[in-house]
Amino acid sequence: MSFFDEFPSLDRRGLMELRRTIDNEFRDFSREYGEALENFFDPLLQFLVGLEKLMISAPWPVIIILVGCFAWAGSRSKCIVVGSILSFLTIGYLGMWEDTMATLAIISAATLICIGIGIPIGILMSRYNRVQSAVTPVLDIMQTIPSFVYLIPVVMLLGIGKVPGLLAVCIYALPPIVRLTNLGIRLVDKEVLEASDAFGASPLQRLIGVQIPLALPNIFAGVNQTIMMALSMVVIASMIGVKGLGIPVLQAVSNQYLALGLMNGLAIVALAIIFDRVTQRLGKRLQKHGALDH
Amino acid sequence: MIQLTKTAALILAAATTTFWMPDNARAACGNITISEMNWASAQLMANVDKIILQKGYGCNTEIVPGDTMPTFTSMSEKGRPDIAPELWINAVREPLKKAIDSGRLQVINKAPITGLGEGWWVTPSFLKKHPTLNTVEKVLSRPDLFPYAEDRTKGAFIGCPAGWGCQLANANLYRAFKMKQKGWVLVNPGSGAGLKGSIAKAANRGENWFGYYWNPTAIVGKYNLIKLPFETKWAGSNNWDGCIVKPEQDCADPKPSSWTKSAVRTVITTKFSKRGGVAAKYLENRIFPGDVMNSMLVFMNNEKANGADTAIEFLTRHSDVWIKWVSKEAAKKIKASL
Repeated sequence: MSFFDEFPSLDRRGLMELRRTIDNEFRDFSREYGEALENFFDPLLQFLVGLEKLMISAPWPVIIILVGCFAWAGSRSKCIVVGSILSFLTIGYLGMWEDTMATLAIISAATLICIGIGIPIGILMSRYNRVQSAVTPVLDIMQTIPSFVYLIPVVMLLGIGKVPGLLAVCIYALPPIVRLTNLGIRLVDKEVLEASDAFGASPLQRLIGVQIPLALPNIFAGVNQTIMMALSMVVIASMIGVKGLGIPVLQAVSNQYLALGLMNGLAIVALAIIFDRVTQRLGKRLQKHGALDH
Repeated sequence: MIQLTKTAALILAAATTTFWMPDNARAACGNITISEMNWASAQLMANVDKIILQKGYGCNTEIVPGDTMPTFTSMSEKGRPDIAPELWINAVREPLKKAIDSGRLQVINKAPITGLGEGWWVTPSFLKKHPTLNTVEKVLSRPDLFPYAEDRTKGAFIGCPAGWGCQLANANLYRAFKMKQKGWVLVNPGSGAGLKGSIAKAANRGENWFGYYWNPTAIVGKYNLIKLPFETKWAGSNNWDGCIVKPEQDCADPKPSSWTKSAVRTVITTKFSKRGGVAAKYLENRIFPGDVMNSMLVFMNNEKANGADTAIEFLTRHSDVWIKWVSKEAAKKIKASL
């Protein structure tokens, strides 16, 4: 009966052997290719460093005006413009300006990278069912695997700092944009596609002229989700040395500084709400225009 | 209701203990909570304490997870847990003094581990390449040997993660040694995992690494990190306790100084010391030799063992060490239980 009482698992020694083999393999891999990988990511690092420096050294009124313009361009709502300017002024007044700029820099870079990689993958997925069935489980893994699990190998390969932090953020933030691009294109009306075929549109013309514009509201929902997820990774990324609002949060957590944690946490929330409202409004407006066209 | 159940359970536990173990010593022992800090040596110590007190003295022990600041605060404010086996007091020196003066906490063992220390370390491959740069001050003159990835003209000094007690000391020493002017950047590794990861990465690839760490740890044992001595003399405890370990706004003018002598204590609550009896006696004698501790930490790391497994390994492998800590009778019981 012992077979049923105890799960027939690998014995302790075998298990240790297995874990050690994996660890050693990884160590050898990192010795062999770590430096090449670091060099490969070096341009990205320089870009991130440059972006952060630019945002921190830019005069604060310029940033505030830019924030206002961004909010207006996206939302066309006075309420949101005033709200975002006020929250940035408060953030600056409470001494979180530099950390906020550092966070904004890494979030913007992460979002751009996710859009750049995610939309093409999403298009491929919508085009070929086989790609969809291959990519979907990968996206599931990326979204559910605990971030600490991949933080360790990323740090062993690339050290601590911005690039590994950015990778960690992207692993988590990429799936929504891929999924929603795929979904958006698949949801485009069959009759519209038939009409475009009838006019003799090539597949590329059909994609750029019909499918992507009609899928834009969904794609924007994906961008919105990607930004939100990137912001939620700020604290995790700080655990491997990314500057920004996450550092004071970590500091507050381990020392029970209530006010410090609350203030920086709320600054992250403020950024999230601004980004969310602006991109949502933009998505809605695109949808309206889409409706007008047909 | 939960409180009621708990009380009932406590009474029941106490009753059964007295019933089954009429021995006076054991009856006095009762329930003990031990804080298990979240680093390896403290996990080992907490589990060794647990096994010895449980098997040797029949105490009802419970391990609660902790960390320096939260555990210290909880012990001094709430009187729970009873024992902090490995408390690094440099970070909490003044509040600890206050807690001792007001009779809430007691130091029961002034050196539970020998040969330990915090300080500034380098990877062994660095010293092999540059054998003359063998003190902190000499290394500080060569930031070019430790290029910082985000700005290659600067040297990277890996400090202590945000929020740890040692972060303040490192930041203030960074100012005291004028490291910024010398071309160094104080890098925040973000977390313990980040700090370890940066060491492991550098040591695995034979790169130069310069930063803060401490002994006894598996990392030091595994990668043979070398602690650099300071040429600067100890600048007095006024400078250290009154300035270096404080936040920047409370330390306007830090003086360069060698690292303070590491102070690890076993701290217990006064409530526990009153009822502790045999357990307190054992804690006074319990001193881990540094090399034994390091070898156990390397074992823990290599075998991916947890604190409880390593405690059993320690008790079987090093009976000559722990047999001196306990009474003959207890030693027999512990050996029988292994």
